[in-house]
Amino acid sequence: MFKGLINRFSFSFLIGFTILFLILPHFLPRFYIYFFSLIFVTGLLATSLNMVLGYGGMYQFHHAVFYGVGAYTFALMLIKTNLSPIFAFIAAPIASAIIGLIMGLICVRLSKLYFGMLQISLGSLVWAIVFRWYSFTGGDNGIHGIPIPSIISSTSKAYYFTFIITLISLIVMYMIVNSPFGRIFQAIRDNPERSEAIGVNVKRHQLIGLVIAAFFGGIAGTLFVVVEGSVFPDLMFWTFSLEILIMCLLGGWFTFLGPFLGASIIVTLRTVIGIYTEYWTLVLGIILMLLIFFLPEGVLGYFTEKYKGRFKTPIVNKE
Amino acid sequence: MLHVETLQKSFDGFMAVSDANLIVNKGEIIAVIGPNGAGKTTLFKLITGHLKPDNGKVYFKGENIVGLPPYKICKKGISLSFQIVNIFNRLTVFENVQVAILSYQKKSLNLFSPAKKLAIKETNEILENVGLIDKADNISGSLSHGDQKVLEIAIALGNHPELLILDEPTAGLSPEETSATIELIKRLNKDLGLTILFCEHDMDLVFAIADNIMVMQLGKTIIQGNSDEVRCNTEVQEAYLGGGSDT
Amino acid sequence: MITLNITISGLFQQILVGLSRTTILFIVSSGMSLVLGVLRIPNVFHGSLYMIGAFLAYSFANFLGGSITGFWLALILAPLGVAFISFIVERGVFCRLYEREHLMLLLFTFAFMLVFGDLVKLIWGSDYRSLNAPAVLQGSFSIFGLPFPRYNLFLLVIGPLVAFGLWFLTNKTKIGKISRAAAVDREMVGAVGINVSWVFAFVFIIGCFLAGLGGALVAPTQNITQGMDHSIIIEAFLIVIIGGLGNIWGALLGALIFGLTDSIGILVWPQFAIVFPYIAVVTVLIFRPKGLLKSVW
Repeated sequence: MFKGLINRFSFSFLIGFTILFLILPHFLPRFYIYFFSLIFVTGLLATSLNMVLGYGGMYQFHHAVFYGVGAYTFALMLIKTNLSPIFAFIAAPIASAIIGLIMGLICVRLSKLYFGMLQISLGSLVWAIVFRWYSFTGGDNGIHGIPIPSIISSTSKAYYFTFIITLISLIVMYMIVNSPFGRIFQAIRDNPERSEAIGVNVKRHQLIGLVIAAFFGGIAGTLFVVVEGSVFPDLMFWTFSLEILIMCLLGGWFTFLGPFLGASIIVTLRTVIGIYTEYWTLVLGIILMLLIFFLPEGVLGYFTEKYKGRFKTPIVNKE
Repeated sequence: MLHVETLQKSFDGFMAVSDANLIVNKGEIIAVIGPNGAGKTTLFKLITGHLKPDNGKVYFKGENIVGLPPYKICKKGISLSFQIVNIFNRLTVFENVQVAILSYQKKSLNLFSPAKKLAIKETNEILENVGLIDKADNISGSLSHGDQKVLEIAIALGNHPELLILDEPTAGLSPEETSATIELIKRLNKDLGLTILFCEHDMDLVFAIADNIMVMQLGKTIIQGNSDEVRCNTEVQEAYLGGGSDT
Repeated sequence: MITLNITISGLFQQILVGLSRTTILFIVSSGMSLVLGVLRIPNVFHGSLYMIGAFLAYSFANFLGGSITGFWLALILAPLGVAFISFIVERGVFCRLYEREHLMLLLFTFAFMLVFGDLVKLIWGSDYRSLNAPAVLQGSFSIFGLPFPRYNLFLLVIGPLVAFGLWFLTNKTKIGKISRAAAVDREMVGAVGINVSWVFAFVFIIGCFLAGLGGALVAPTQNITQGMDHSIIIEAFLIVIIGGLGNIWGALLGALIFGLTDSIGILVWPQFAIVFPYIAVVTVLIFRPKGLLKSVW
């Protein structure tokens, strides 16, 4: 199945990292285990956004909605129903995908910037409903103390669970971006007009891409609940969406693992800087400005460019 | 095979194409000529669905295809190679052609099999045919203009078209590159039996390879016929050939 | 959950409230539309400027001693202050970035939003402030037996004035005509020897001035707080989208739709009044995906 997908070097790299992360919890204090889990969740979220952003060239400006919908669906299923938690795990990403489908049907006909702006707006509606529906979603307080199944509720168990699900999701996403679907998705990013001319139904392709990304965003949402044990409306606030976008930009959105790297950097910085100052967003803003001026291809993009000479072309056509 | 009847298109009141008529028979090489702004590119985009005509009909193999979106027209067997280089900048040369083949093979919704393993033979065949096989792994955005123009044609071939439409395939090419492209067009017509419709500025070239020529002026078809008929037509001489215009 | 006991006078009152809300929305979103149309920048920190406008109005009014003249001066000085900030930002940073793609520009404006958000917190603290309108505009009078705030009436007067001003600026002045031409074809404008960069700066500053004006005008009607920037920007986005990107009259139409559906929604279903403008927006977009009026691009 994986033959032809990755070379031997990347494969041993992957195995090495897997082993490292599997034994890590035995050596680290609890806070770090929690911290790594959070990185996995955020990394998965950023990677799922990048599927449509970096590979599909779509201006997915409100990806956090799918994260939040996944998280809320999972939490509400655990609290309000007596079904087995497995159903909650299955329902959450599907709910995200359905929201993705509805938003996609409305947005996808529009061109890039329109698409993004409308998506921010529609996503904000979802946020507003969650924010105000006190009786159901807990409103702006969110829901705390969600009864996570005991098999994954402790910090280290949650860590292992998060790690494994993230790993599987990443592999599946990697397969998708390297499949014929993914190839054509990239072609659409580079040149939608030409893609249409070689017989690709561009809008349908974009819609499917959006639904897939929303699905994985939903998985990240459930993992967040597993790690954190609570949900709150800020999970799907639009500024958070742009923060995920920054993660992709920081890591490099023309690479597969760049967004994951970017997410790790941002989560780490937020944790570290949060100790010293409450003005984290100020710092984030300044990081972002420097990034746009000096490293528009992102950290990983910069290095791949340096070593492969792959990105010599002008970035993405202007509208 | 292709039959265009009284096609019309205006942009904000400007008639780009007012009365275009064209008949293309299977296996022919057809050239469309006319001064700049005569509506050649617009005509091609109307045929391939990139623009929607205000009026008129386009029959392909007996079926009216007016109003279909480009991707459906492409599936019917018409491929367009653009005048302005229109390739997938960030993909390699190989991938550029491969996506067209994958789309043709209806694999565009295949989510899980590795694309690296698919359509290799077909892609290499086309690349060999057009002479880009050595550059298969280069990023297409970094190719020279001449190579990009050839890649344009290669992408269009990926769809296994019956009718290949080339919009100024030699625009901006050096004399050597131009003659290579002409050879390519002849070869595609002869070896693969492709029907080819193209437009071109170089008159000698047009008369040398086209079986049949359609002349457009100010959005109207003046005449369609073989090279002698076109040369002898007084209207054409006045408007175009004899006028000493720079085109 | 939905109780429908709407009286005619109640409806009329809500419509008036909606119209005064429309004024603020129009002023803010026309500024955004202007910048979007000419510079092609979806300006996310437009909302921050709106917030800064409100805080500045508060500070100026207090500094000037809370007198009536102080209030009027604050209404003028606050947007000017905002315009000055935008002038520095534009000349300092943005004029170097116009060739970048939309996504980068959007993220850059977002970076400014983050920075401005925290700067406001640094300067004014996280408590909310309130600004009182002068006595003339305080209180309310009755329409059909229901109270209607005087200040809202004042807003209803200001709205058309701003609209007229914008119309005059874009249609009757030379710089306005140049800006409109630059929106359609910037190379052409550059080719005839006009310094496009300064045209852009001008438009940008006018757009930001409007954001500040909106903020200053809204200050007496609500608490001035952190987070004001977040909600207005989404509303402005929606308005600009349904109106047609870059079209000022589209912004007016969009603001009307948004303001009215919102205020009537409050009457129908207070908890989820926010849903109604969205329903209107989605309906509009299903029939006219490019917005109601012709967008500039």
